Amino acid sequence: MIDYALAAPEIFMTAAICVVLIVDVFLRQEKRWITYTLSMFALVGAAVVSLLFGTDSVATTFSGSYVADPAGNALKLFAYVIVALVFLYSRDYLERNGLYKGEFFVLGLFGLLGLMILVSGNNLLVLYLGLELQALSLYALVAFNRDSAAAAESAMKYFVLGSIASGMLLYGISILYGIAGTIELGPLAAALTEPGGLTVPAIVGLAFVIVGVAFKFGAVPFHMWIPDVYQGAPTPIALYVGSAPKIAAFALAWRVLVEGLGPLHVDWQGMLVILCVLSLVLGNFLAIVQTNFKRMLGYSTISHVGFILMGFIAGTENGVRDAMFYTIVYVLMATAAFGMIILLSRRGFEAESLDDFKGLNQRSPWFAFVMLLIMFSMTGVPPLVGFYAKLVVLQSVIEAGLVWLAALGVVAAVVGAFYYLRIVWYMYFAEAKDSSPLVAATDLRTAISVNGLSLLALGLFPGYLLNLCASVLG
Amino acid sequence: MESIYLTIVLAPLAAAAIAGLLGSKIGRAGAHSVTILGVAISFALSLYVLWGLAFGDAEPYNGNVYEWAKIGNVTIAVGFLIDNLTALMMVVVTSVSLAVHVYTIGYMHDDPGYQRFFSYISLFTFSMLMLVMSNNLMQLFFGWEAVGLVSYLLIGFWFKRPSAVFANLKAFLVNRVGDFGFLLGIATLLYFAGSLDYAEIFAQAERIQGETINLWGATAVSALTVACICLFVGAMGKSAQVPLHVWLPDSMEGPTPISALIHAATMVTAGIFMVARMSPLFELSEAALAFVIVIGATTAFFMGLLGLVQQDIKRVVAYSTLSQLGYMTVALGASAYAASIFHLMTHAFFKALLFLAAGSVIIAMHHEQDIRKMGGLRKYLPITYWTFVIGTLALIGFPGFSGFFSKDALIEAVHASSLPGSGYAYWCVLLGVFVTALYSFRLLFVVFHGEERMDHHTKEHLHETPAVVTGPLIALAVPSVIVGWLTIEPILFGGFFEGAIFVRPEHDVLGEVGAEFHGPGAFVAHALTHSVTVYLAAAGALVAWFLYLKRPEIPGQLLERAGALYRLLANKYYFDWINENVIARATRAVGTGLWRVGDQLLIDGLIVNGSARAVGAIASAARRVQSGYLYHYAFAMVIALAALIGWFALRG
Amino acid sequence: MVTTVLFYAFAAILLVAALGVITARNPVHSVLFLVFAFLQSAVLWLLLEAEFLAITLVVVYVGAVMVLFLFVVMMLNINVEELRSGFTRYLPLGIGVALVVVIEIANVIWFRSEGQAFVTPTPHAADYSNTKELGGVLYTEHVFALEIAAMLLLLAIVAAITLTMRTRHRPGLKVQDVPAQVAVRAEDRIRVVKVGPVKE
Repeated sequence: MIDYALAAPEIFMTAAICVVLIVDVFLRQEKRWITYTLSMFALVGAAVVSLLFGTDSVATTFSGSYVADPAGNALKLFAYVIVALVFLYSRDYLERNGLYKGEFFVLGLFGLLGLMILVSGNNLLVLYLGLELQALSLYALVAFNRDSAAAAESAMKYFVLGSIASGMLLYGISILYGIAGTIELGPLAAALTEPGGLTVPAIVGLAFVIVGVAFKFGAVPFHMWIPDVYQGAPTPIALYVGSAPKIAAFALAWRVLVEGLGPLHVDWQGMLVILCVLSLVLGNFLAIVQTNFKRMLGYSTISHVGFILMGFIAGTENGVRDAMFYTIVYVLMATAAFGMIILLSRRGFEAESLDDFKGLNQRSPWFAFVMLLIMFSMTGVPPLVGFYAKLVVLQSVIEAGLVWLAALGVVAAVVGAFYYLRIVWYMYFAEAKDSSPLVAATDLRTAISVNGLSLLALGLFPGYLLNLCASVLG
Repeated sequence: MESIYLTIVLAPLAAAAIAGLLGSKIGRAGAHSVTILGVAISFALSLYVLWGLAFGDAEPYNGNVYEWAKIGNVTIAVGFLIDNLTALMMVVVTSVSLAVHVYTIGYMHDDPGYQRFFSYISLFTFSMLMLVMSNNLMQLFFGWEAVGLVSYLLIGFWFKRPSAVFANLKAFLVNRVGDFGFLLGIATLLYFAGSLDYAEIFAQAERIQGETINLWGATAVSALTVACICLFVGAMGKSAQVPLHVWLPDSMEGPTPISALIHAATMVTAGIFMVARMSPLFELSEAALAFVIVIGATTAFFMGLLGLVQQDIKRVVAYSTLSQLGYMTVALGASAYAASIFHLMTHAFFKALLFLAAGSVIIAMHHEQDIRKMGGLRKYLPITYWTFVIGTLALIGFPGFSGFFSKDALIEAVHASSLPGSGYAYWCVLLGVFVTALYSFRLLFVVFHGEERMDHHTKEHLHETPAVVTGPLIALAVPSVIVGWLTIEPILFGGFFEGAIFVRPEHDVLGEVGAEFHGPGAFVAHALTHSVTVYLAAAGALVAWFLYLKRPEIPGQLLERAGALYRLLANKYYFDWINENVIARATRAVGTGLWRVGDQLLIDGLIVNGSARAVGAIASAARRVQSGYLYHYAFAMVIALAALIGWFALRG
Repeated sequence: MVTTVLFYAFAAILLVAALGVITARNPVHSVLFLVFAFLQSAVLWLLLEAEFLAITLVVVYVGAVMVLFLFVVMMLNINVEELRSGFTRYLPLGIGVALVVVIEIANVIWFRSEGQAFVTPTPHAADYSNTKELGGVLYTEHVFALEIAAMLLLLAIVAAITLTMRTRHRPGLKVQDVPAQVAVRAEDRIRVVKVGPVKE
């Protein structure tokens, strides 16, 4: 029997998307706020449904292709919050730049649906479809501003590279299916642990799967799309691409690598170590030479991905918990950082150059302080939560016996400090290029302030989030 | 109870945040109302806690409220240890702070930085409470640094005066020296005990004493002695003991309420409190105790002498504070921790009173602080005068006043001590009584009696200060008189600090004193008949009367006769001169040298610029890969895939 | 035996066709090569008894998608020389990488698959319906995946419309309003004005 209640959040979200889509068609431009409000209600409703139908135990339905578990539920709830923040940050900007269209919200919700399916997918096919559902909506979003040649170019790159990556992922899945005779995660792991299951062809399949996972994360050398997309896409869309999909990437890696391919841990550990080292080194060094803030954030993402991978490299229960903690923290930081760009932008002017942060303290001491929190957190300065995130992943690789990797991580963090603190330096010690005060809607200002302060609050009380991660995963 | 403790700490913090961040919105009245409310809440709850511990059946509390981090086996936590010692300190801190808050309304009335000031003093109250309520060294250190920071901010509150900026820099630097020792001490304890928690460290004290450290070559020293002396170096900085005392007189550049609150009643006693708190450690190291007692005795006597030659009303009181802090330290060194804390408490009240009264004089004199321009103020400022008299009597140890009990018990305890250095200390504190009475009455007579030396204009405007100023004076005068009589028995001899302070039986000097104790009345009688201290104080007062009222020309003649001695005192034993011309100059020379060779040549030239060039080179090479061409990207992915398969599938 | 020969024959043609897609100078030829390659794959699937998939491939891809694609390629005037400029430059490296991958895969299949059983599946009976079986699992076991696929299609429609449909409502932009033009009447266009005689 199919237990539909387990998949209630996905069912609700699907219905909500359809409602938003249809209602939006009948709205005139000046009534577009209804679409926005409806989308927000859809997120709130999904949260309510997730809370009502959430389980404490692990249960599967749809013939084992869907799994409901506390960790998945927690990730979904977090994703609702992030997408709601993205919509909230974006509305103002979209309105100012003539991009305030219902499709933005519909595509955003579609992406969220893909994420939810990915988080709850229990077989390789469903995981793949969830990934595609999200990726397709992201491609469309990146190209959303059709008047921008840069956006179209980056969307094209993203689309082609994403297709190659997902093709490789699919090829890997087919190899694994050929070997194990199943695509369901649990039986797949069981089949691989059987004598004769762990063979060289399985490793070949794994290599292809890793490509898909690494592309989703944006780990070097599958990272090339990130800087181009971040820079090319309109800021709210870069915000969307840079935040929620990281949760999806975490879920993909967790489901496929840990739950499905756990028996191949030794092999994917080795592969991830290579990707991790490359990401840490290249991400940080390239971020230093950037002058565009969005592009710099792109490279900084890559280096953060290196840290997230550290948790997976350890492969232990604690390692996965640390990776989840880091992912959540990173997504919060990235959301806040992009939110600051939106806050600084005005009609027809994108505040995306590093120079635009110069003298921010004179223009708005409060938001300079919030930005300081964000940058300190990204650097990993205690007592902000970014410090704690780095600490736990470094601890997990040390426990895994890879002290050299932890040392490299520390060096990378120090190199990273240079470009984050440069922003702080610009804000406080450089002359402002234009000294006009910041103008922004109250909800945007409040949300960004809360977002930034949450980094401090979580840093002061990191135990709660860490224990939450541990309890939902355990 | 936990929530009560949290409220006690957080109420002043919240008030400070409101007054500091929203100062311009809530206005002056809003700022002082909210901060006074915050401190009043803390005070009331502290009283409740103390009451529960002293008279009720509340048990001492020791627990972590929040674990912030766990690094290896070391837990960094925020926790509270609430026993009688802590509760007493909490009441002292919050009551004096409350009085100072109210007083500040009058003192800072016309200052543009009104809200900022209230925010700072509330923040100070929070930090000080964190310090005394801590149950671990990390939080203690946090509170320690936080009070230092606020003190720094407040000394330099009038940051437009160059002398204030110089003074706060000096306070900061001198305290850094002390803090360095303190940090070394904490590190030593952490290394040997593997924990920052008081209880866990104390449990291992015996074992740590057995461990040794090789300091110079093969000279093995007990680890506990090293740790205790290092901790005490921290206390020397904060509690202004010779030779780290130089910042305290200069700190009088700050507004007077600050001098009363921070630089007399509370912050400077943090060092005393810390040593008392660490008594289970200090008790095990006689070497450390001897060090403490010698430093304390030196401070007590020689700093008192300096009070004789000062012409600034606040500086006289400041040197008296130094001397009294010396007394407390002597008591610590003699293992009479309870006597030290008892003196700390009485001193907090009467010294705060003296400072606030001095402030009242300063307000009335339109911010004139030179006592040579005062005189005969008694009839203009009656309330101030009488409260000042009460403070003075308490300070010199007039029988029955609070200072009498604490100081006499302390001197008796030192007398009974047999530790090395206690003989020297006994003479210092005994002579100190005479000196104390001399400078105190000198100040009283010069300021309030005799010829009126102020200019005509000031004289016309002389009148008693407003009620927000005199109110706290009266409020502080009451405990200055009675608190000693009421509390000497339980605190010193009644086992009030049992469980909080640890004294080894062979060091129990207070026990010896207590054997002859039969109630406060008998104590007074005993002092009048058997002790020389009261008569020394009386002699001091008499000499002051003779020199400054009866024959005011004598001091001038004395100066001419004893010019060398006077110069020595007037230059404060040349401490500042040595610091500035020898230590500071040598440090600067070394610093410049290191900067030239180390920084400019090695670090900047080789490491920083070299690595920057390396980063640039790597980045520009890596940038070439990020060409923007789609087929380059796709190609990179395929190559990476081939490499992954090649490496992992084909290696074994 | 016959199937093996057929398999290799069609597989060889498939490879040639695929090579043709990327080497043909004329883009229209490339598209036709691709159609050819699809047909070969369909035959391979037939050999694997996946009849339904084979038919679908021919009907959907060859019949619909590729024809549409062909139209697009013919309508756009693609500059072939520009596209090909990088081709020869990267050809040696490309061939090298491709060879490495081929060698790796071949190595794995032939030499490193010890213990890995590649069993030849037993052929089904003649009355076995591939379509029916597929329908069976598609609507039961994989119904969740099927529903997601449906959402994927909906998303594709939304995305396509978002990216292509342009509503021209920008102020100041002159556009043709067909219904208004049709509904126009003569009296709206011409106003007959009676003008009195003018005296000089």
